[in-house]
Amino acid sequence: MTATVRRAAYRTFMFIVALALVVVIWETYKALGPADGGKLFGARILPRTSSYAMPHVWDMFSRFNRPEVRGSDRTVFSVVLAGAWFSFRLSAAGFVLGGVLGTGLAVLMARFRWVQRGVLPYLVVSQTVPLIALAPLVVSWGGKLEVGPFVWPRWLSASVLGAFLAFFPIAVGTLRGLAAASASSVELMQSYAASWTKTLFKLRFPTAVPYMVPAFRLGASASVIGVVVAEISTGLKGGIGRLIIEYAREATGDPAKVYTAIFGAAALGLTMAGVVIVVDALVMRNRPKESIS
Amino acid sequence: MTAVSVRKVSKAFNVGKSNQVDALHEVSLDVKPGEFVSLIGPSGCGKSTLLRLVANLLEPTAGEVMVNGKSAVKARLDQDYGMAFQQAGLFDWRTVRKNIELPLELKGWDKGNRQTRAAEMLQLVQLPEFADHYPWQLSGGMQQRIAIARALAAHPPLLLMDEPFGALDEMTREYMQGELLRICAATGTTVVFVTHSIPEAVYLSNRVVVMSPRPGRITKIVDVSLGGERTEDTRNRTAFFEAITTVREGLRGMHAAHVGLGNDDR
Repeated sequence: MTATVRRAAYRTFMFIVALALVVVIWETYKALGPADGGKLFGARILPRTSSYAMPHVWDMFSRFNRPEVRGSDRTVFSVVLAGAWFSFRLSAAGFVLGGVLGTGLAVLMARFRWVQRGVLPYLVVSQTVPLIALAPLVVSWGGKLEVGPFVWPRWLSASVLGAFLAFFPIAVGTLRGLAAASASSVELMQSYAASWTKTLFKLRFPTAVPYMVPAFRLGASASVIGVVVAEISTGLKGGIGRLIIEYAREATGDPAKVYTAIFGAAALGLTMAGVVIVVDALVMRNRPKESIS
Repeated sequence: MTAVSVRKVSKAFNVGKSNQVDALHEVSLDVKPGEFVSLIGPSGCGKSTLLRLVANLLEPTAGEVMVNGKSAVKARLDQDYGMAFQQAGLFDWRTVRKNIELPLELKGWDKGNRQTRAAEMLQLVQLPEFADHYPWQLSGGMQQRIAIARALAAHPPLLLMDEPFGALDEMTREYMQGELLRICAATGTTVVFVTHSIPEAVYLSNRVVVMSPRPGRITKIVDVSLGGERTEDTRNRTAFFEAITTVREGLRGMHAAHVGLGNDDR
């Protein structure tokens, strides 16, 4: 247990060191870099160091404490927090949807070879479709969908797009895990005359857990990206994606402001990954320590 | 009634294709209840295939396999046998106790009965203090003992073992052989045991079945009578060495080209 604690402390420490390093590089370049940026054959490859292009890190953070707009009594912090919370709920919905879809697909693919052969190539192709192109389509399909009293809420489109990005790593990772049971353990279950379903729950899923954990972690951050991009491209109000474009428009007058929204998005992604890491630690606590990579 | 009856069984893989392999050709063998029979032979002689046909993990191409007077399928569905492999194959995510309970769970036993039986089995393999450990916390020999406990948990009349001690070091291996004999004597279990090791086969068995490859067939059956209980002393007796020599001659009797050139046990 102490080893686990020490490792966690070490990781936290390294995380802070890495963050501090980014700040140091940022500020060093700002102090020492060419004021007009660097140009190569007429193309700008290094940014300008002015406060408009590169605000000080402390300016970014102090911006959190000031009002969002002049005269407002809401600070940027509370607005960004509310936006992140909104997007978090959408991402969580997308993650759950993608998780159910991805796991379900993986089970079907593991059960029926023809499903795997037929579906897997389309899954790979699906991930090459640009999300920005897909977002308006999903919104318009959703708008046309009305089943009885159910009316497609606008936010659901963003969650669906989050799920669209999340399900793929989950489906692929889970499929690999379900196929990872050793030949002799499959024979063992056969020798007990265990049905396919029993084998699935008593052998294949437990074997798959070490494969599913990193897959779900990828899926969690993918759902956040999906939701934020969907918010931006469909103009959905209330989330962190919308704040990023709104604040980016104000960048000429208030350059530090957009970074608050970006930090909010980063914190959102980290929170999502953190939730999965906690679940990971819980389900893997009784497993051998040398894990698969 | 015989515990295992194999009648003119053949098994071919990739039938009708250019890479057809005749793993077994018209093999017949009877195993009496309570008997310990070893299958020995070079790689590719079909000894593992024969074991899997008895376990109904494979279907014969021709011939008939009966276990406990039933068809092999029926015997598997009734869980009339337990099985142990070279890799102990314990489930990492289950405690030792839960691993032993697995076959009982699949038979639909209730929790109380499962726990009682698991405790009995742990006593039998002399590892009761490890009930709540996880398999990966145990040594290879201990893991294999738990695998035997799991295979025998439902008290099947027949135990099928595929090189169960193949991955263990020599010291542990000899200890495990003694343990297996003790356990089988205590439970009256019939055993069919696949091995590469001549001394292991002779020490454990009432009969050693010598097999040869291409196509897999039985070339010789050696009766081993070492008289009385087998102990560590048995390994020093003349009769033990004589039986080893007989088995070795059986194996050498094969055409030299057959030995050591096989690439697969199945």
